[in-house]
Amino acid sequence: MLQALREIEGGMQLSLNVMARLARLRKPPILESFLRQVYFTGVTAATGVVLRATALGVLIIAVMMNMLEADVDLAVKILLLLVFREVGPLAAAVVVILRTGTAISAEIAVMRVSGQTRALHYLGVDLYDYLVLPRVVGVMLATAALTLYVQFLAVFGGLVLSPFIIAASFMEMAGRLFDLFTPVDFGYAIVKSLLFGFAVAACCCWHGLNPPDLTQNSVPKVVTRAVTQSAMLVLLINAVFAYVVFGILFFGLVKANV
Amino acid sequence: MSSAAAAELAEHVGHAVPVVRYERTRHEDHLSVVVPAGKVTHVHVPDHDAKSHLVTAILKARCEPGESLELFGTSVAELGPRERKRARTRIGAVSKVVGLVTSLNAWENISLPAAYHGRPSLENVVALAHEVLSAFDMAPERFLAHLPDELGMLERKVAAFIRALVTAPELIVFDALEDGLNPQECRRIAHFESVYRAHQPQGTVLYVEVKED
Repeated sequence: MLQALREIEGGMQLSLNVMARLARLRKPPILESFLRQVYFTGVTAATGVVLRATALGVLIIAVMMNMLEADVDLAVKILLLLVFREVGPLAAAVVVILRTGTAISAEIAVMRVSGQTRALHYLGVDLYDYLVLPRVVGVMLATAALTLYVQFLAVFGGLVLSPFIIAASFMEMAGRLFDLFTPVDFGYAIVKSLLFGFAVAACCCWHGLNPPDLTQNSVPKVVTRAVTQSAMLVLLINAVFAYVVFGILFFGLVKANV
Repeated sequence: MSSAAAAELAEHVGHAVPVVRYERTRHEDHLSVVVPAGKVTHVHVPDHDAKSHLVTAILKARCEPGESLELFGTSVAELGPRERKRARTRIGAVSKVVGLVTSLNAWENISLPAAYHGRPSLENVVALAHEVLSAFDMAPERFLAHLPDELGMLERKVAAFIRALVTAPELIVFDALEDGLNPQECRRIAHFESVYRAHQPQGTVLYVEVKED
């Protein structure tokens, strides 16, 4: 219990520190570290998700069609509500946790254990500035970009390949999709993915900087904890967003239009 | 006052305030170190633990219970966070305690303090790196792009030395400088002192070695 409270407090402090230091991203070594993080999280991950994301849209539609015997309207709604709003950001977050979360937590933990963070400290380089800020902001932006990419591929894959499964043309489905699509869908996915990226990066940085002990054995423990808690945080954020959007807000004054 | 008398007075004043005054009492062992300003001092400590405590205390500008430390004439116990940070900027080191960052190549390691603090300019760092590397017959293009794990022990120490020189330290600590080097490399690394002197004529040099019985 005490450990959980300590982690929550540490995570909040880290988050506040990142927000207070945003202007320092302009410093050359921090900016470089930020760009590296965006490249690693966003660009190098993008090639690996093409097939999986494309298959995702088709798979979900195929399963729903078989189970519900649905028409074009329902197929497009499924694409929009399930793939675009929910599965897309979650799939991108899973990729980020598995690729970037593990890398960040392991890298920082190794630096901590081997005394490299101490070396930075002696050189007058602030650890939050140099290690945490570029990673958190970089992962946030890259997760949002990766989410858009996954959403596009999943929806496009669904539109292109679904006509082979259900009796509807690509143009018919695309037209219906643009009728139903609202900017809220886009904003919802972006805000959620930014929060996912923030939670994953902050959690992994915090665990990397706070290993249980300063031995090599603590590195795998750090990675396990960081990945597990990142996944839990992502699911929690997703649940909160789902309630906010699909539930009735402000004592019934605002109701999500689904 | 004649110039000779002025020099004598300056030397006397320099001696009056040592750059480092360190004492550590542990059980019945007692270690006392005094490093005069502007001089080269060799300190031999009995074991690695004592060496680690001494070097860490100086680099941190902070001491643990059982230790006392004065840096540049001021007890570190009296220093606030800002003064402690300022004191640390006056000290450079080639030591395992301040190793290179393994995810950055040699050039990024060398230029990191300058790039982060904005001084000195990167042009000056480039000039300094080229000057030191040429003094050690090392080709910059073969040296600077490599990660620390791809470098030999001598090259790593040279990179750490250049990084320390970048901040123009008033005190430089060479911690177990010859560890892991062969005799030929030890002869080459002995030039660190003269290179440091060329950049900091008034600087203080402290060698810390373990002398086990």
